[in-house]
Amino acid sequence: MGGIKFIVDMGLSSLVYAAIFIFAAGVFYKVYFEYYKTPQPLKIPQTPQPTDSFGVLLRMAGDVLFFRSLAKGTRLLFAAGWVFHFTFLLLLIRHLRYFIYPVPGVIAALGNASVFIGIVMLLAMVVLVVRRFLEERVQYVTLVADYFVLFLIIAIVCTGIMLRYEPFRPDVTSVKAFTMELLNPLTPLKLITMEPAHAPSCLLFAVHLGLVCLLLIYFPFSKLMHSVGYFFSPTRNMVNNPRSVRYINPWDKG
Amino acid sequence: MAEENAPHHTGADRTPNEVIQEYIKYEKIKYYPVELTGEIKVPKLTPNSMIMVKPQLLTGKEALERLGYPVGGLRPDWKEVFLAKMGEILKKYRSVKLFLDICVRCGACTDKCHYYLGTGDPINMPVARQELMRRVYRRYFTVPGRLFGSKFVNGEDLSEELLAIWYTYFYQCSECRRCSVFCPYGIDTAEITMAAREILNSVGIVQKYMHEIIDKAQNIGNNLGMQQNAIVNALEFVQDELIETTGIEDIRIPIDEEGADVLFVTPSADFFASPHIESLYGYAKVFHQAGISWTMSTHASEGGNFGMFVHNYQHMKKINKRIWEAARALKVKRVIGGECGHMWRVLSSFSNTMFGPFDYLDPKYPRPQHICELTLDLLKRGALKIDKSANEEFTVTIHDSCQVARGMEMGGTEFGQFEIPRGVIKGVCEKFVDMPENTIKERTFCCGAGQGLLGDDMLATRVKGAMPRMQAYHYVKRENGVNFLALICAICKAQMSKMLPTYGFDMEEVGGVHQLVGRAIILGAKEGI
Ligand code: SF4
Ligand code: SF4
Ligand code: SF4
Repeated sequence: MGGIKFIVDMGLSSLVYAAIFIFAAGVFYKVYFEYYKTPQPLKIPQTPQPTDSFGVLLRMAGDVLFFRSLAKGTRLLFAAGWVFHFTFLLLLIRHLRYFIYPVPGVIAALGNASVFIGIVMLLAMVVLVVRRFLEERVQYVTLVADYFVLFLIIAIVCTGIMLRYEPFRPDVTSVKAFTMELLNPLTPLKLITMEPAHAPSCLLFAVHLGLVCLLLIYFPFSKLMHSVGYFFSPTRNMVNNPRSVRYINPWDKG
Repeated sequence: MAEENAPHHTGADRTPNEVIQEYIKYEKIKYYPVELTGEIKVPKLTPNSMIMVKPQLLTGKEALERLGYPVGGLRPDWKEVFLAKMGEILKKYRSVKLFLDICVRCGACTDKCHYYLGTGDPINMPVARQELMRRVYRRYFTVPGRLFGSKFVNGEDLSEELLAIWYTYFYQCSECRRCSVFCPYGIDTAEITMAAREILNSVGIVQKYMHEIIDKAQNIGNNLGMQQNAIVNALEFVQDELIETTGIEDIRIPIDEEGADVLFVTPSADFFASPHIESLYGYAKVFHQAGISWTMSTHASEGGNFGMFVHNYQHMKKINKRIWEAARALKVKRVIGGECGHMWRVLSSFSNTMFGPFDYLDPKYPRPQHICELTLDLLKRGALKIDKSANEEFTVTIHDSCQVARGMEMGGTEFGQFEIPRGVIKGVCEKFVDMPENTIKERTFCCGAGQGLLGDDMLATRVKGAMPRMQAYHYVKRENGVNFLALICAICKAQMSKMLPTYGFDMEEVGGVHQLVGRAIILGAKEGI
């Protein structure tokens, strides 16, 4: 028993650290070297684009928070997409309770609704999957990778919901102890000396966490980069004032 | 024998150029306009319905050399050149790099392109058009693609067949940016199309219509390739016509007059094409009546800039340069642009980057300025005497040219490009009606021939791409009795005056905004401003 537990502890801890590293390094590389450092030669903002920076900020906020550009098109996609992202955010916030001590009241309150939120999120995702499957035009452009992400997240949510119930339910204090241990900067060093953090003894928990790690590793190499990429989108983040303020082309300063 | 028919036998000894030439051989295609109902329906997918459309290739040796593109068709070493060019563009254009990276294939753009709506060809869905390049991007420019190959990343290896598909479908995009309005990340297919066209150029697949014009505009000075004396003759002829029809002796079309206040640039089609020329009369009348000293230039005899249609910055810059050279040489205080869609985008959005700051021009005015901005201002100040009854017979609607509507600002406000032309029309006409909301303003449909697709070899594409606009026009015609389609773009004018008759309307129903202005202005008798 001790042997298996050691292997699981070792495996999970290493996976978590590897995933976080690949995620962080990958996203940083993409954002810094590929998005930020790549020059944008000309002003190409897109109507309706405000003529001052504050307006542009508002527009981008509208896009990010309320999916305003998307709302102009297909209603169903807008609704399902927005619900999916919003519930995703709520569940992320809720997971902070495993990292913060003492748990803030807001997060604790969310806890009571989390299964409900999870189910709403699942429903939204089912709509997204079915849509890809049934809508002729979307089906045509859908790739395996698109289903892969959807099903990966569905699996994460399903395991997450199951973890709330017996017989899968792990001991919450042991989960919290595990995350606290992982947060300790000394823990990764202890991996070398073969003293991994102690994972809760719960198979489903290991699966849930493993899938999350897979998502993190996949993230920087995939379309999931849209989350950060949006902020660099020149049709959305440039101010519509090309005549009054000269924009300099970084590779043609003439 | 079976063996002789195997493809590798027939293909092995042919050069890449021979292979591609067969794929993209130009053929004349019959086109049929659809029955108009006033409704724009999203069609079912009909794969390959437009795959046979291949624009003509530019083969003239001198022109290709001047443009810096390979002579003699597809280069034998085209794959390396292709990837090198694509790599270069990915390093120089954040737009292209980012847009290739972040599309989630949500499908929001799939029913937004007029070419898809008109043809049902799945590759005319904006995201599918982008995927043509994205497949190559994933294969050659991402780590998993390089490590594990095409299959793993849904990529595609370079082949002549792929080139042919690119050539077909990147010349069925008019870079109108409508798809980008609805995309949650603002992914702009136009940027991808521009990049793809330059990559095709670099390997020796150069479309004729648009590149011939890019060459002429740089080296002769205008899209039509008119020499200086021909321009002077044409404009003098216009001036004579003006004097004759108005009976005003001193109304003029000044040419190369140093010290004039305004340098006026406009597409060279305005010099004699119909209905373009009617707008030229309009401009001249506005300047005359407002008492503004103005001049046209033989050096900058072209306002249009086809260089914008492809990510070859240098061509666009060189064409644009003529305008600023002329502005300095003629010592003008303002530069004003006439009615043209993409010209306005280059002038308003790109000129300042390429040749600014314009500190030698009068800071009181926007630099450069759109003719509609000028006219509306004059109308508001009561500087023009207008008789709206001259346009009594018309119920007018406006086609928001895509490059103006989504190309950028006018009047310094967020929606000036919609309000200002409408303001001008309402200032000179009694009856104005807008087309349905989803076909105008930021959601306007392209005329179907913009950004390099106006050639006669593209007629099949043009007729299908014009469908949404024609439906919308049909709708307001039926519901509101509209009988005049006002335009602010030279390409739109050329396209619409061909499409209206094709779809069963009267050709006379299309014209420029300043055609309406010109009709309504009362010349002479000035009452002061
Ligand atoms: S709307 Fe944007 S993200 Fe969605 S499929 Fe089209 S280009 Fe991709
Ligand atoms: S830019 Fe215009 S023509 Fe090109 S894909 Fe988008 S909607 Fe279609
Ligand atoms: S011709 Fe007019 S509508 Fe057509 S592409 Fe150009 S600006 Fe757009």
